[in-house]
Amino acid sequence: MSASPSPSPVSYRVSDKLHLDAPWEVFGERARRYELHFNGRVVEVVRGPLVVEGYGIRVFRAHGDRTGTGFQASTDTSESGIATAAEEATQIAAHSDFPAKRLELPSTAPPTSGLDIVDSKLWEAPLPRLQEYIDGLLSPFDAIQDAVPSFGSVRATLTEASIANSAGLRVTYPHTTIALELAVKAFGGPEGMAPGEYWVNQQTRKIDPDDAGDSVPALCSYAQDARRAQAPPTGELPIVLPSHVLAGILPAVIGFRWTGGSRLRELAPAKGSVVAAPGLKVYDDGRFPWGPSSAPVDDEGVTTRKRALISGGAVDEILYDVLHAGAFDVPSTGNGLRGITFGNRDWLRFTHTPAPTSSTLVVEAGTDGTDAELAEIAGDGIWLQQLGWASPDPISGAFGGEIRIGYRIRNGKIAEPVRGGTIGGTVVAPPGTPSLLSSVAAIGSKARLVDDLSSPTLLVKTLTVGGESGGGST
Amino acid sequence: MTDLRDYEADIDRILTRLERAAPFADIMAQRVSGQGIRLDRRSTSPSTHPRLHGAALRAWAGSHWIEAASSDLSLPGLEVAADGIERALEKAIVRSDPPGPSAVTDAESMTDPPHPVSELGIEGMISLGKDVLGWATQVPSVRDAIVRVGWEDEERLYLNTAGARTYQRITRVTGTCVPLAFDGGRVEFDFLGEGGVGGMERLAFLTEAKVKETAECSRSLLAAKAPPTGAMNVILDPGVAGTFAHESFGHGTEADQFVRDRSYLKPILGQVVGPESLTIVDNGAYPGGWGTIYFDDEGNPGQRTLLVNKGRFVGALHDRETAQVLHARPTGNTRRSDFLSRPFVRMTNTYVEPGGWSLDDLVKEAKNGVLMERATSGIEDPLGGQMQLKVKRGRKIENGVLTDLVTSMALSGKVLDFLKGIRGVSTAEDFRIEPGYCGKGHSDVVPAGTGGAYLLSNAIVGPA
Repeated sequence: MSASPSPSPVSYRVSDKLHLDAPWEVFGERARRYELHFNGRVVEVVRGPLVVEGYGIRVFRAHGDRTGTGFQASTDTSESGIATAAEEATQIAAHSDFPAKRLELPSTAPPTSGLDIVDSKLWEAPLPRLQEYIDGLLSPFDAIQDAVPSFGSVRATLTEASIANSAGLRVTYPHTTIALELAVKAFGGPEGMAPGEYWVNQQTRKIDPDDAGDSVPALCSYAQDARRAQAPPTGELPIVLPSHVLAGILPAVIGFRWTGGSRLRELAPAKGSVVAAPGLKVYDDGRFPWGPSSAPVDDEGVTTRKRALISGGAVDEILYDVLHAGAFDVPSTGNGLRGITFGNRDWLRFTHTPAPTSSTLVVEAGTDGTDAELAEIAGDGIWLQQLGWASPDPISGAFGGEIRIGYRIRNGKIAEPVRGGTIGGTVVAPPGTPSLLSSVAAIGSKARLVDDLSSPTLLVKTLTVGGESGGGST
Repeated sequence: MTDLRDYEADIDRILTRLERAAPFADIMAQRVSGQGIRLDRRSTSPSTHPRLHGAALRAWAGSHWIEAASSDLSLPGLEVAADGIERALEKAIVRSDPPGPSAVTDAESMTDPPHPVSELGIEGMISLGKDVLGWATQVPSVRDAIVRVGWEDEERLYLNTAGARTYQRITRVTGTCVPLAFDGGRVEFDFLGEGGVGGMERLAFLTEAKVKETAECSRSLLAAKAPPTGAMNVILDPGVAGTFAHESFGHGTEADQFVRDRSYLKPILGQVVGPESLTIVDNGAYPGGWGTIYFDDEGNPGQRTLLVNKGRFVGALHDRETAQVLHARPTGNTRRSDFLSRPFVRMTNTYVEPGGWSLDDLVKEAKNGVLMERATSGIEDPLGGQMQLKVKRGRKIENGVLTDLVTSMALSGKVLDFLKGIRGVSTAEDFRIEPGYCGKGHSDVVPAGTGGAYLLSNAIVGPA
């Protein structure tokens, strides 16, 4: 990964220097990051290589039928740096207390090749590839008169992840992640009319300069429509939610509630309870092609696979990491993932302890047709193109926010744009209480991967819309 | 190494090397340490802050900046990053000096509280957390609570080729309690949390009375009604007013958005945007504020900057580049999330200054509408000038009186309409600054304080 001879994976080197009398695990990352930031069509900052080599040591201490865990992460790979991190992890474990009765660390790993998680062209020549991508992304603007790229960035991370533990596991695999950001500004028309913007952020594992600009005309039209949009009416209306909107809602709630962590705290839905419309099937798939969280093993080294979370509208499996599996005397499902709670989970995972969560959430495509056909089924409602920020509350399940751009659906057709006002509801509620999942009225026939969700467009019977009319007096 | 300054000689050596290759270069080195605990009824999870350190290297390439970074602060580690910069500079045509004035500050500043939280140790933090957990779960229906206590020491050393040298060590302390109330399959919570720069005094708010009051509110939310929906009078609590000052207004005053022609506020700089009772500031020098910084990441001291003065929009936040383009001075607002992130113009502590009203009088003035409490999030719309604020709970206002407790909701509206609609801000008695984290877009997260007092205006509201 550099001009110098490639050393062995970080976690192997660290584990070779560990002298611990308790079970342990080391997660290591050696990463290079490259970024191009542009303002208009001008590159304003070129960044890279941003080089990070770090590791997190976790130590497990049994206290009767409970377990203490201690964690410390460090970028210091010297012998003394490793000793200090291990000592701190051991000290923390002495004060930690978790109801895991047993601990089953993985000892073998599956083959790590064959998964779609590495953009090989990006790996070979990061900065030139990013420049090609930006050229492809910006070239459609040559033919567009009333919109320009406002700003954006492409941030690519090339990582060699590795895991070693006291059960003898040694596994390493490469992966790439890319964070894309683009804001499009529309203008023109009658004098004095304010410009409009459409701003997108996305995480992916690969980029292709040849199709980079495909979505640009649509983005420009959303930015243009935002200029003339009006606030929607107040009321309960059918709402069509495309996959990119659902990506900001479903993983945050299902990925939290359908886990051993929530089960431990009485927040998980009971197995078999009916929480969704009968036609809804939802999976977690840790090996989903090009899923940003896909990997051959989870961040504890357990083999990943596909798990049914909702089948026929009822709760099916719950997701576990090693510790929570130990609390319920079940095997880990390969869902011990490291990440951050705010911002992208695209690097520096070694600085976090694992927790049970979903990897790529997959809503199975239905048979209700294209987006246009879903609008036809809705009849009179709203197509939600972009929310300000859904920021779902995983505990109560509430979600919602301001409509940044949407469209009225009138007589089954997409009509005038709407902007401003609120849309909100609850993702999952106790059986018998209406929720987004239980109110799904139609499921589109084609799924699309956006961030950590693969889903078709969904039509929800009704959600609450706050608009210009109604409410208290002013 | 016990101090980031122990690496200074090697950092300085690398800076001298970059000085030979570029008209200007700077290096920001960072190191973080800290401890925290998380408790609930089932588990106790202490933690130490990752031992992260590294340096960001930046050089002016004639038309744009080139940056590299390394998590290895040894001389060979820094040389790898410097090699990357020099390779990129070979391709650049360097004809000009960098934009804007280079800082020449030479100073050091450190948080030095009389009673650092670090003295508590892990055991002390667990003991405090168990007290808080016990108080919360004494309230009926509150079967569990999530309690967090922690501190973080962050060192930043900044050197540039113009002679600036700043060193700062900032200690941030935070505590939160989230009591969870259960009823059948329904779960609700309120939350109590504060944070700031300092020591033990920052945790003094974690009293039995306040924890129990929060737990009682969690319980009450189980039976709370949905909020009213539509356009109405709204009163924002001090934290929500702060989120408005930061997300809705503040992001539009970051002058990089002016340079990008991406701020709805740019054309109205100097104009009246609200009532004379309205003053909004960003203040990196606010004593003890969560977003307080002693120096920014271009070597300028943190400072108080007036954004709105008595209703008039008077100022923006600048780095060296925007200062040059817009004929202003840097305002001490250039911040990197960490040594791996690029610098942007960022806010520090952004707040609405107190006014002269009481909350009772604001409620009477509103007559009907809703009081929005416990800010949970907000998001900016710097070009479009729309606003989204979200809260965990609120109270209906009916006939000039606070009535039913209502569940979580979102507020939407046009910022300039909201500003014009402001009818009053409550007194300094209600003023507070709350801790939060701000992203520039969806990444580059920095600690940011948001604050104010109760504020009355009107907007669209709905459940969320």
